[in-house]
Amino acid sequence: MLAWGSLTKTDVIGAIVVIALLSVVPFVGSRYIVGIMTVALCYAIWASSWDFMSGLTGRENFGHSLFIGTGAYTAGFLNVSFGLSPWWGFPAAAIIAVLFSLIIGIPTLRLRGPYFALAMLSGAVVMQKLSIIFSETTGGQDGLNGLSPMLRSQVSAYYFTLVALVVTVIVLKFIALSPWGTILRAIRGDEATCQAAGINVNFYKISALMISAAFAGFGGALYANYQLQVGPDLFDVALSINIIIMVYVGGMGSIYGAVGGALLLIGLTEGLRSFSEYRLWVYTLILILILFFIPNGVIAPAWVRVREWIIGRSAAFTRRASA
Amino acid sequence: MSALLHVEGLTKRFGGLTAVKNVSFALEPGEITGILGPNGAGKTTLFNLLTGFMRPDRGTIGFDGVPLIGVAPHRIVNRGLARTFQLTRPFIGMTVVENVVVGCLAPRVRAEGHTEARARDMLDRVGLGAKANVMVDALSYGDLRRLEIARELVTRPKLLLLDEPFAGLGTSEIEPLAALIRELHKSEGLTILIIEHRLREFMQLVRRVIAMDFGEIIATGSPAEIVRHPRVIEAYIGRGGDDLEARLGVAPENARGIA
Repeated sequence: MLAWGSLTKTDVIGAIVVIALLSVVPFVGSRYIVGIMTVALCYAIWASSWDFMSGLTGRENFGHSLFIGTGAYTAGFLNVSFGLSPWWGFPAAAIIAVLFSLIIGIPTLRLRGPYFALAMLSGAVVMQKLSIIFSETTGGQDGLNGLSPMLRSQVSAYYFTLVALVVTVIVLKFIALSPWGTILRAIRGDEATCQAAGINVNFYKISALMISAAFAGFGGALYANYQLQVGPDLFDVALSINIIIMVYVGGMGSIYGAVGGALLLIGLTEGLRSFSEYRLWVYTLILILILFFIPNGVIAPAWVRVREWIIGRSAAFTRRASA
Repeated sequence: MSALLHVEGLTKRFGGLTAVKNVSFALEPGEITGILGPNGAGKTTLFNLLTGFMRPDRGTIGFDGVPLIGVAPHRIVNRGLARTFQLTRPFIGMTVVENVVVGCLAPRVRAEGHTEARARDMLDRVGLGAKANVMVDALSYGDLRRLEIARELVTRPKLLLLDEPFAGLGTSEIEPLAALIRELHKSEGLTILIIEHRLREFMQLVRRVIAMDFGEIIATGSPAEIVRHPRVIEAYIGRGGDDLEARLGVAPENARGIA
């Protein structure tokens, strides 16, 4: 029940193996692969931050791109318009995204029904329109270009993004396994019962959204600093939907599943390049098959099985060794 | 002794329907009281008003000497007034013990720490100790009622409101649950208010019954007095033409001398 309490040694070893595998990518992959993987790691940060709020509490957010876009534009403005060092972009992006989460979360999260989901969706759409309308400051369709690079080499940018993802997942998973996470999952179960247990559900929902927004905004700044460019496509509804699909494919509410889902789907998109113009058809077909036949997702449930198998094997091994 | 709960002139309207009409009563500490009434009498609405889930149009609620109107539901729980729901709504996807841990995380009792140990102790007390690690989805209806009581008891209430705790239970499950409620009342000195639409479940449990119909209190007294009260008989017989015994769950002549 306590933090890390339900995390086994096998989970930690599994995480270390994944981090190790991701760490060797720059040694074995081409520049192109490293670039794709850096973007995939950004997606993983966005997906795990979505999962923290929506996967745990069950209140689905259809406009996560609002936080990503505001974070990215914040980093872009500070760097391009105000000439500040790219490093300032990270805390500023997180803070501005949190402000947006409060503007939308406080009035709508206390209501039942789809208001929160719709407000997030329209918030992202409105911000995308605004970023195009106020083209003198935002660069319009072209966005903000020419951010000064934060790290000189592509490989160091990759490792920086990887470290950021690892920190994100550790923090979010730590909260998810703490009494806080228990309350968030209880909110998903039933809000009225939660209130009857003496829990201030609005406080917890809004705080979860703030944390989710902070990491999404941070991830947006990371993406902006890697691409050295920010555009209105970062507010796109398609981006939000993509992130939701990644979490569904990964397995909701597990945090690490979202990371797996993001890497899997970005990998799938790249892997299907050989299908050229049929790529989207094949991609959509695979997605439909996954969502239809494996509704609980692929990554998290698969890991749970692998973990059981490993624990079973090691128990058998210990028995044989002691016999 | 001053009343633990004091309700005065409570009224709640939904459009043209007055669900609760000018209801006044008081509960002394340590009392078990029943609220009896046919379906639609306003019993659950009364509970929703008392626990902050709905705001009354008129009237006052005093709990432990402090007014409760306009106080959020979770704050009311943290002042010591807990409730269960007519339809139990557990936290699906969590284990039985996790369901109770949530109650241990309420601000008033959280500082005591040992949340999981306290949750397990409470599960032992309500007879669910062996099922602590089971997923809540697998529990029977009777066990869900016990779980709900456990989750409320860990918030350390002074007054516990039970909304039809026996609804949907088989005869074999009712008596053990009633025994548990009696036991908790005795050992904790808990004040309990129970809603039922049948009198039978009350007979051994409560000393005083408040009978409601169409949102109003129509009679107050011992179960034996209530069952012979003309307005109660009218409320139950007046509709549907069924016989009183079936509707109340007890025959008036048998009620004499009980309670």
